[in-house]
Amino acid sequence: MAAVAEQPRRLRRRGPHARREARIGLLFVLPAFVLFVLFRFGPSIAGVLLGFTDYSLMDSPKFTGLDNFTRLWDDPVFWSSLKVTVLYTVITVPGTIIAALGLALLTRRAFRGSKLFRSIFFLPVVTSLVLASTVFIWIFSTDGPWSTVMSLVGGHTGSWLADDVFVVPALAIVGIWSRFGYGMLILLASLQNVPRELEEAALTDGAGPWQRFRHIIAPSLKPALFFLAVIETTASFQVFDAVYVMTGGGPANASYTLVFQLYDAGFKYFDLGYASAIGLALFVLTLIVAIIQRLVIGKEK
Amino acid sequence: MSLDTHEVTEITPPPIVATEDEPARSRLRLRRDRRRAGREQDTVPYALRGTRRGKVLRGVLLGVVALATIFPFYAMVVLSLKPSGAVEFPGSLLPWNLTTSAYSDVLGSQDVPQWLINTLIYSIVGVLGTLLLSALAGYAFAKKRFPGREAMFWSFLSMVMVPYHVTMIPTFVLIAKMNGVDTYWGLILPSLANAQAVFLMRQFIQGLPDELFEAAKIDGASEFQIFVRIVLPLIKPIMATLGTFVFLWHWNDFLWPLIVGQSTDMRTLTVGIASLQQQNVPLNVVLAGSVVAFVPIFMAYLVGQRYVTEGVAATGIKG
Amino acid sequence: MRRNIRPRTVRAIALPALATALTVGLAACGGSSGPGSGGKTITTWMYPVIADEAKNKEYWAGLTDAFAKANPGYKVKVETYPWANRDTALATAIAANKGPDVVYLVPDQLPKYQRSLVPADEYMPAADKADYRKAALDSVSVDGKPMATPLLMSANPLICDKRVFAAIGESTYPSTWDDLLNLAPRLKDKGYQATSYSGDTQQTLNLTWYPMLWQAGGEVFAADGKSVAFNSEAGVKALSYLRTLVDKGYTDKDQVTTTPKLEQTPVAKGKVACTWQNTPADVEKFWGKENAVVMPPLKDVKSAGYGTVGSFAMLKGANKDAAGKWISFVAKPENSLALVKSNGYFPARTSAADPYPGNALQAEVAKTLDVMSAGPLKEKSRDVMGVLAPEIQAALIGNKSPKDALNDAAKAANALLAR
Repeated sequence: MAAVAEQPRRLRRRGPHARREARIGLLFVLPAFVLFVLFRFGPSIAGVLLGFTDYSLMDSPKFTGLDNFTRLWDDPVFWSSLKVTVLYTVITVPGTIIAALGLALLTRRAFRGSKLFRSIFFLPVVTSLVLASTVFIWIFSTDGPWSTVMSLVGGHTGSWLADDVFVVPALAIVGIWSRFGYGMLILLASLQNVPRELEEAALTDGAGPWQRFRHIIAPSLKPALFFLAVIETTASFQVFDAVYVMTGGGPANASYTLVFQLYDAGFKYFDLGYASAIGLALFVLTLIVAIIQRLVIGKEK
Repeated sequence: MSLDTHEVTEITPPPIVATEDEPARSRLRLRRDRRRAGREQDTVPYALRGTRRGKVLRGVLLGVVALATIFPFYAMVVLSLKPSGAVEFPGSLLPWNLTTSAYSDVLGSQDVPQWLINTLIYSIVGVLGTLLLSALAGYAFAKKRFPGREAMFWSFLSMVMVPYHVTMIPTFVLIAKMNGVDTYWGLILPSLANAQAVFLMRQFIQGLPDELFEAAKIDGASEFQIFVRIVLPLIKPIMATLGTFVFLWHWNDFLWPLIVGQSTDMRTLTVGIASLQQQNVPLNVVLAGSVVAFVPIFMAYLVGQRYVTEGVAATGIKG
Repeated sequence: MRRNIRPRTVRAIALPALATALTVGLAACGGSSGPGSGGKTITTWMYPVIADEAKNKEYWAGLTDAFAKANPGYKVKVETYPWANRDTALATAIAANKGPDVVYLVPDQLPKYQRSLVPADEYMPAADKADYRKAALDSVSVDGKPMATPLLMSANPLICDKRVFAAIGESTYPSTWDDLLNLAPRLKDKGYQATSYSGDTQQTLNLTWYPMLWQAGGEVFAADGKSVAFNSEAGVKALSYLRTLVDKGYTDKDQVTTTPKLEQTPVAKGKVACTWQNTPADVEKFWGKENAVVMPPLKDVKSAGYGTVGSFAMLKGANKDAAGKWISFVAKPENSLALVKSNGYFPARTSAADPYPGNALQAEVAKTLDVMSAGPLKEKSRDVMGVLAPEIQAALIGNKSPKDALNDAAKAANALLAR
């Protein structure tokens, strides 16, 4: 950091040189800056503004104040898709984190084949959910593997994707499958933080595995768990690809999520103002949940 | 045991998860830390290595989860090699009576090869463009002083916070007004403004010692030469990691290509295969399409696995 | 050192400039040919009316070649789009100025695109116009103006499987809701279903639920078109009736949420007594021609059924002369014959020869062509279906009462209409 602090003094001394540096710096940033203005800053502001208009791409936007938001409040489909999205998140995020944690603890110490296991567990993360969905449709089909296994263990038989109660759990299973490998890697990295001396000491004192986990391992995992919870919640709130391919939001809107509603409002009905309002609602929701997670996990510490 | 230590240091560098509390550390420090971690690994006490029974239990558990994890891949490949209509379970999972008829359907049609080309264009141009733009910007943010640098950098970074779905609609409107719907540039250009890439580049370049650049400057090298001859070679590790991820993101991207590519000829593989699924195309053909789309990413994963896993561990970059 | 600044700066500029040029170049080379460039290429969007990909290609290649020969200098490009989400693709393309010159539409899509369409009057030869069945022209007319050129017509009367009726020893076929409901328990005892209903939300309600709504005396939209009317008493009655059929197992419950391939449906397997969601052309290869019986559409307070028109519409921005010639060319009875015959449809023109000589079954269906409705022609027809279909599904799987489902749908639909 010392070098950074020294820089300004050095630059100020060499006036023309500093100006040249500044010019070159700006020049190097310029291409990225232009793209950011066009495709990030501009659309971020426009996205907020559009939420207060009625716009269909054919005519120019009409300012309608809070209309879109009152409409959203009264829209049963919005509440239903919010419920579906939250339900999906409530299953997927803990499921992903628990699976990730368990597997991270199991593959924590190197052993013959540990590398292979980690590679296998990460493979779904790099796989497109669209491609995976094409085979999961078969797995969840009426006489497919999942239904067969379920009927053997006495669970709900028939296609989970065609059932309005089980469709979200089915999608959540796909979500967990596709994400736990990522969480595992994050946690594996964090597990290196666990003070070895403490662990050894605890072992000598005869502490059991749970006690060791609770008092020695868990505290050092906290930042990583918080990070994972935020990342996974954000991702779950935006679930779309698998739903689009596997269920189309059905049956009877039972898997119709917020982003799906946003997509339909925007690109099926060209109700772009309303779609933007849904986008804003999603944004606010994500923020609120992140803050809550922060408070809960942060407080314990 | 020497094998064990090697594996651990290969796969799990020390935790440098980029949370708000704990920004990612530089690659150089990371290397040093890793060396240290490697030494520590040698001292794993016997007691922490677990009992024999524990090991067996662990092996069985991991084996079961691993099988469940790869089952969809297995089913995808085997069912794609079956004649159309062979969908019964478990009979159709047995690896005989295989036929490549679905593949000749898929590769013989005009569509899938075209989608493959589109996906390649989207991914490769996306990677090269993102790397070049973010390297330029990251270098400037890290090593050049210019007015508004901090403000600009933080405003870039703040864009990570804005969810994609807020910007998607205005971006589409903009592209539509610029006549970019159903074109390659309309597809690619918005994806090049990648805040995460700029951030990681800046963090990495900040960790490089100034002396390297100063020395070159004293030798009379131009900025262009410094960037090409010094910066680019030095940032190869982060380019590899970032490049792999940007490739993955583009290859697997769905929503944006779905909106922008309207005609059959402009679809990417993900969008195209989703449309096959919706058109009641036989399962074996859809899955053959999925396999065709999956194989390149699988290859990329095999080759770039180190960058992927290290990237995740070192930066928390989103998978 | 200082002398070096200039060339150095130039070289320093080179890289960012290259990057910028790259992005701009990317923009340029993607260069849009643009829609309706007024040029000599006529872009046509088609859908898999001819489901077989190879046959579809062959048919259109034949037509475009023949057209190019007859009209030197013009080139037609036919792109076949999937049925799924076709409105999204088309509306996006039009909004983004990337629309085709000519597109295949069915009547209830016309009002949505009305502002972007060239009325058919402006290019349709008078002799052709006089040749169309009145029902065909009426179906494509919005506010009394034909907006597209009909290529084919379809009708979905009630068709019954003679074998099923023989199996329960019944010789009269149902003509009212009560008839069907009275037969249902006897059918069920023998392992048959009274009818089949597809609840898939991708399926057009014109074919599935709207006929029941009409039969009960209801309408989709209120007379002024500013609100919906499907949640009327008639609507609730129609949905309750349907729910009874589902609940009692008189129709396949799985099909309320999923769409199996036709050959795997109970209809194809000869397990269904009567259906209005399939045409004789669909079922005759499973049932055998001799076993299909054509009946007028069912009736509760009135008999009503769905029949549609497949048409070519011209979008604004097209070269009117060229695109008009192309549309009229395809609309010639001999040229559209393969489209007509692909799914057992019927010609829209009176001068056309009977495509199914000697086929008594098709002759029966043809008689019903003029009484069928193509569905409400309102700008938001398809949007309303988008919110109504999942609610109908919810009522049928027992999540909501028919009344609540329709009221919820009406609320959402009215919000769409109020925009």
